[in-house]
Amino acid sequence: MDRRDFLKTAGGGLLLGGSCAYAFRLLTASGTATPATAAASKRRWGMLIDLNKCRPDCTVCLEACREENNVAHHTDERWDVHWIRKVALHDTSGRPGVDKRVLLLCNHCDEPPCAQVCPVQATYKRDDGIVIVDPHRCIGCRYCMIACPYDARVFDFKESDDWPNKDLPKRSHGVAEACTLCAHRLDRSEKPACVEACDKINVGALLVGDLNDPDSEISRVISSNSVKRIREDLGTKPKVCYIGL
Amino acid sequence: METRFEKIDGTSAQYYLALSVLAALAVAGFACTLWVSQQGLWRTGMNNRVPWGVQIVMAIYYIGLSAGSLVISGLYGVFGKVEYKPFARIAVYAAMLLLIAGLLSIATDQGRIDRFFVQPFVHLNPRSLFSINPALYVGYILICMVYLWALLTERSWLAPGLATLALAWAVGVHSGTGAIFGFNARMLYESPLLPASFVVAAMASGTALMIVLIVALFKLTKRHVDDDLVLWLGRFLRACLLVVLYFMVAENAFRLYVVQGREAGLYYLFEGFHSTVFWGGLIFLGCCVPLLILFNRRTGGSVRWVVFASVLVIGGVLCERYVIVLPGLTYSPDLFPGMQVVGLRSQEGITSYSISVVEVFQVLGVLGTIGFLFLWGLKAFRLMPTEARIDRPQANFGRGFSGQAAR
Repeated sequence: MDRRDFLKTAGGGLLLGGSCAYAFRLLTASGTATPATAAASKRRWGMLIDLNKCRPDCTVCLEACREENNVAHHTDERWDVHWIRKVALHDTSGRPGVDKRVLLLCNHCDEPPCAQVCPVQATYKRDDGIVIVDPHRCIGCRYCMIACPYDARVFDFKESDDWPNKDLPKRSHGVAEACTLCAHRLDRSEKPACVEACDKINVGALLVGDLNDPDSEISRVISSNSVKRIREDLGTKPKVCYIGL
Repeated sequence: METRFEKIDGTSAQYYLALSVLAALAVAGFACTLWVSQQGLWRTGMNNRVPWGVQIVMAIYYIGLSAGSLVISGLYGVFGKVEYKPFARIAVYAAMLLLIAGLLSIATDQGRIDRFFVQPFVHLNPRSLFSINPALYVGYILICMVYLWALLTERSWLAPGLATLALAWAVGVHSGTGAIFGFNARMLYESPLLPASFVVAAMASGTALMIVLIVALFKLTKRHVDDDLVLWLGRFLRACLLVVLYFMVAENAFRLYVVQGREAGLYYLFEGFHSTVFWGGLIFLGCCVPLLILFNRRTGGSVRWVVFASVLVIGGVLCERYVIVLPGLTYSPDLFPGMQVVGLRSQEGITSYSISVVEVFQVLGVLGTIGFLFLWGLKAFRLMPTEARIDRPQANFGRGFSGQAAR
């Protein structure tokens, strides 16, 4: 082998080796997790909504969420951002007594399609089960919105001046977002804003707790009631369940 | 007879006018994208229920046209049809630019374009089709570049291998693009047929585009092209169209037959603006009329009619891309089967989407960019053949056309 061949082989080998190393690094990189403690990684946050207690015309949880998380409000419904919303269900077959009001939000699925499709791993599932978006990384492709079968994700189409909670940043336009289950409050052992607001008016229709702990309030209520999750057949394993759905 | 390739003159007034118009469109599109990136995507017609619009439709459309165009160069490189060698270079160049157009359409549609050029490379998600597909797209562009280099430098022994690789990769590109929608839980998206359906619609649109491009380019540059070369492509196109129709029937029959999908299937076929696009744009004008033209003995044997049919197909496949993307978004997500969901504070139920002026300019901007690059390429590289003739045996008195005396 002469010098030219040696250099060609070495150069080619270096390029090939470098590419393989880069590919290996990329393929084995997992979604980033928060700097959660070892104890937190054994926790699995879930939510229970008791529709029998939820008052049809009450909106305190919706407003509390907006205030706490700087969820932008736009008068035009096409671009209005909402992490939790209330809808009315009408039974199209005309069965009586089935019409009801339901709260809809991110289900924090154990198999989140949104995290699967995010090209930059901006959407990911934390060790404690909360599905969250990193607004600094999101490129705004909206594929997560397409992938979510619950229509739970929203996009900041428009910049907003609303900034009610100065303790938290507000998002710029161009990123996707969804309910974070008030992860910042849960990390401080506080209740999410919606749960706290509902408790304050003595309704208590919302409950958030550790599904992995059989002694937690949520686990006890789930085991002693008939609960439903939305579209469980899809295999997403949603962690928001409902009584009275 | 060896094909000779040359650069076009590119000194005529029409050439410079065309370049200027395309450049102006590109600048206007770029300006619109810049404005939207600063103002927010609310300036487009998209909203929280319809987060993807015409830019995504155009992206998948360009990607389809690209893979289809490559088929023409594959006729020479893969299937050994040497009579199509004259078109191989423009086909590969067009295929490359069309895929760049697809990537441009995607890039200009992002909420944070600044991050789009960094984050996907640093934090690639190998499970996401939005990571897998760009890898396929970039690989495809690189293969096209190498293939074009091999053709331009007359390394014809590389052509079969590269052409085969390009064609196989194109099938991967297409299937991946179809899977973005098909591998999804939305009612009008979920379909294992979509990857294959994408490939066939790509073949049809790409072939149609090449027919129009070849006839137009050769006519404008006063070069000879044998009618039979175009007519054969017309016969290939009609076969592609039959397969496209078959897939349309199969997909919709499934939705209508199975109870679970029936309501959504009926919405797709008979409600909303998209159903007009489907029946009028895709089925009637995009498939049936071209098939009638191409199968008819008289019109199918006329280059003018074949070109007309091809223009219809180009429009028809654009309609097909539109009905792949939009109805799946405007239809209400099936959260509570059997129940009607009425929003109290936000949009629920069936919604709508209308294209904004800004998006039209963004689309024209991308078209202008690749159009400009294509015209410039014709002058910069030896892409155009001096003529495109089918070599026929000299003993064949009846159909000889080269003017040489039979020996």
